[in-house]
Amino acid sequence: MVILENISKIYHEGTPQAFEALRAVSMKVNPGECVVLSGVSGSGKSTLLALIAALDKPSRGKIVVNGELISKLPDLHASAYRAKTIGVIFQHFNLLESLSVEENVIVPLIHSGLHLSTIDSMAKKSMELAAISHKASQEVKALSGGEKQRCAIARALVHEPELILCDEPTANLDRENSLKFIEILHALQDLGKTIIVATHDPLFEGLPFVNRVLHMEDGQLECGKNE
Amino acid sequence: MNEIVMNNEVIVYLLSETLLYILLFIASIVTVGVLKKWNFNHFTTEQFTLENRSYLVMTIILFAIVLKIILLPYFVYTINALSDLVPGAMCGAGVIKANAYGNPLLLIKIVILFLSGLWLSINHLDLKAKCYPYMKMKSWFFLFIFLLMSAEFLLDILYFTHIETTKPVSCCSVIFGQTAGVNSLPFGLDIPKLLTLFYLLFGLIVLTILSDMAWLSMVASLLFGVVAYYAVVYFFGTYIYALPTHKCPFCMLQDHYWYVGYAVWGLLLLGIFFTLDNALISSLFHRKTERVKKISLLLLGLFVLLCSSYVVVYYLKNGVLL
Repeated sequence: MVILENISKIYHEGTPQAFEALRAVSMKVNPGECVVLSGVSGSGKSTLLALIAALDKPSRGKIVVNGELISKLPDLHASAYRAKTIGVIFQHFNLLESLSVEENVIVPLIHSGLHLSTIDSMAKKSMELAAISHKASQEVKALSGGEKQRCAIARALVHEPELILCDEPTANLDRENSLKFIEILHALQDLGKTIIVATHDPLFEGLPFVNRVLHMEDGQLECGKNE
Repeated sequence: MNEIVMNNEVIVYLLSETLLYILLFIASIVTVGVLKKWNFNHFTTEQFTLENRSYLVMTIILFAIVLKIILLPYFVYTINALSDLVPGAMCGAGVIKANAYGNPLLLIKIVILFLSGLWLSINHLDLKAKCYPYMKMKSWFFLFIFLLMSAEFLLDILYFTHIETTKPVSCCSVIFGQTAGVNSLPFGLDIPKLLTLFYLLFGLIVLTILSDMAWLSMVASLLFGVVAYYAVVYFFGTYIYALPTHKCPFCMLQDHYWYVGYAVWGLLLLGIFFTLDNALISSLFHRKTERVKKISLLLLGLFVLLCSSYVVVYYLKNGVLL
């Protein structure tokens, strides 16, 4: 369960360049739900995801994920929270180009303390789920955009997070690869994962497995109607 | 400007202390501001700003305190180095006694070392928790330490600007009384009693740490600190110098004795600190401190071993005791 209460985020606060990226946003995402945040660039979607992932802190308001207060988490705990609860898929993949697919997928488990054989089986499982097992030993720099995105999905899933955050996941993909990505997303929802996708891709409109589409504009949810 | 203040070591020392004091002064002002308005249960912009600010300020304090702890041995090194400039001084003992500010300065530095170490432990506990449970406590505690640091800074300035290079001072031979031929030990102790107390108290510390008797281990370690000081100066030191009449806590910090004094005093101070830290953290904060226990036992064990080894080695080499 993700709960946002009255979340605001102001960049460069207290300076003439102050910019309010989010304005008193409140929303609730239930476990197993797939929620799409739509809206043009600069509407605050990515900021909202960054706050849920504890990559940044809000300027005011409360974020609770699985009963844990995220908005005030000290940095040390924020990393642990991300490593345990969150899987993030980025627009630009954020992969280590000189490593192989499998090595990239294993990265989030480096400090997990798990046995190598467990790490290996977890990596294999997530690569299968993301349909990238056949490229396991290939260097990331030799992959196509779609394959890179599937590698990024496998990496986001490897530690079996409950919550998956996708920030413009299809922005760098062609239509065919975008549809493949959506298929994978569907499969993840069937596995009971909670998914929040920030996108302005029209392909996400009217998808049967998407529970809700929330439109964002100027840092607010549609028409300022918070949930 | 006198010769002392223009000495390289003193310039480096005073400059470092001044920079750290400025940092801590700024940190103390911000801490007061944070303390005034802190309420973790608020989700306002002001509270989020305070949380970010306090995180920054605590990091600055952490940095400054760690550097100040490192500066303590450098201070000792500096006063030892000044013995070349102060007439009559053979080591730091003479230099520290060169004016009335030396001993209080050394004492306040040791007190600050212990309190700063405790602050580091509380800060560590606070950062390990998710809701800054000790934020207010560690902030008040820092402000108290800062007051002591202000006094220390003032004493630093007074001490180094009032050392005269024309007036002869007494050194360890006079200060530690071997020329007077009288017993300089307190409470009518003699060497056998002092050594008995030394090993008994060490045994008591080991026992109380292992059996989780926090308060008793704290009392025992404080007593051990006093007894160990006299034992080193009046007994073990004579074996370090291989001279029964040489009683000084400072000469062993010099290169003639392979700087062993840094190991001796460092192990003692750190060992006592970790014992006190273990006692306070486990009893006041109800935290398990297995690692701290092991560290304190290791440091004090090494201290006792190092001191005792000088006696044993001397006996094995010469077949007699001093």
